[in-house]
Amino acid sequence: MKKSLLLIAMMFVLASMIGCATSGDLEKVQAQQNLINAKAEQALQDAQAAKAAADEAKVKADETSARADNAVKQAEERERIADEKAKKADAVFQKSMKK
Amino acid sequence: MKSAQENSWLAPDHLEKEIERNEFPVARGEDVIGRLAVIRLEKGDTLPDIARHFSLGINAISAANPGVDVWVPEAGERILLPLNFILPDTPRKGIVVNLATKRLFQFKEDKNSLVVSTYPVGVGTKERPTPTGQMRVARKAARPTWYVPASIAEDHRKKGDLLPAQVPPGPLNPLGEYALYLSKSGYLIHGTNKPASIGLNASNGCLRLYPENVEMLFNDTPVNTPVLIVNQPYLIGQRDGVVYLEAHTPLEDSGAVELEKVYAKLKNFEKKSAAALDWKRVKEVQAEARGIPVPILEMSQGRAKGAAKIIEVEHPAALYGRPELPELKLEAWYVLAADLRDEIEALRIAAIINHQGPPIPARVLTKSNGYRVIAGPFNDMSEAKDAAKRLKIDLEIDGILIEPVKKG
Repeated sequence: MKKSLLLIAMMFVLASMIGCATSGDLEKVQAQQNLINAKAEQALQDAQAAKAAADEAKVKADETSARADNAVKQAEERERIADEKAKKADAVFQKSMKK
Repeated sequence: MKSAQENSWLAPDHLEKEIERNEFPVARGEDVIGRLAVIRLEKGDTLPDIARHFSLGINAISAANPGVDVWVPEAGERILLPLNFILPDTPRKGIVVNLATKRLFQFKEDKNSLVVSTYPVGVGTKERPTPTGQMRVARKAARPTWYVPASIAEDHRKKGDLLPAQVPPGPLNPLGEYALYLSKSGYLIHGTNKPASIGLNASNGCLRLYPENVEMLFNDTPVNTPVLIVNQPYLIGQRDGVVYLEAHTPLEDSGAVELEKVYAKLKNFEKKSAAALDWKRVKEVQAEARGIPVPILEMSQGRAKGAAKIIEVEHPAALYGRPELPELKLEAWYVLAADLRDEIEALRIAAIINHQGPPIPARVLTKSNGYRVIAGPFNDMSEAKDAAKRLKIDLEIDGILIEPVKKG
């Protein structure tokens, strides 16, 4: 019996020390949670946007690189054709110089 | 890529108006004559025009300037004039022709000094090569008649071009104005009606010179002058204590044997010299085959004067022998030779047509979406048809006749 009374007394003391949560406190916590949530959402969206931008940039870079490769190949081909034409013209010229 | 030091001797020393191109004194014990020069190209120049003005063959100017477009070089580009020659390894007497360098040397003793005149030549093809060996000038003729050999007549017949049995003196005569008949029957040293062929393997075994050069040679060469024809693609010579190597692209199958000979000579020079020979450099000179004497060894260090400096030559107001282009006339006939989108290609074709022998005037006209190569003006339809026939036979061009503009 003594032990039970002591436990009840201690619970009262503890309750008076901590104090009970009011409805105002709960709203404040809710608001904080919402804010953090919103921030997380924003961060997630930002990260997704950044990834999308990075992906798009990579696609563009790959595309540009492929186009540059193609342009180089085309330029080389043009040069090869021009060289061939020059050589052919020269060969015809040399033939025309015979008696 | 050569280091700046290796190629520093190629930097021009100073600017001069003129440069000697044909006649040089030969100092006792020396083998190198002339000097290298550079010239800055102007718009419309072609390498064959520059070559002829400076008495060089097209082979020489092309080899000295690898990568430069022969027909449409860039204006402002500085090109090398290889007017520096190592004399062939032969007795210095009479006429000596080096087939590999496509150059003729005429030695003349003047009291105690030796003078050499040198001219570029066109030589025989692979199929009809110029013979080597000792011969002499058997006779000479000004304004020679060309008796067409059966083999050449047959070649032309196959192309649809019927030649007469003989061609009198004049612009259609491929012998030009002067001929020196050699003791080896059927072979001549003569002029040409195709000056752009000098420096090429284009003859049927004869030796061709520019018209202005053959006249000098003709007047300066007595009958019975000895003529020695050799094939020396690699030449070694000394001047002012410096040993030079001049390498040319060897003719068919002659490279390996000639190279062995030149290596043996170089080893001999190395033994006599205090310095070691840079064999890597020797191999580079041989591989590049630019046809210019390159300093490779100083015989006695400290006493040698060093390699000769090269000069820059002023571009002349007019290039000697450059084909003339008459003004366009509405009442004339023309031949449309090509219709192209590429300007360089059009300019090249026009230049090649201009350098035919006899020349066919041609120019590039710009249109909205391309370029036209027009040959002419021609006085009448017959002239225009003849030109179209030559374009077809010689250059495989199917030309279209353009009638004169009718007066309203």
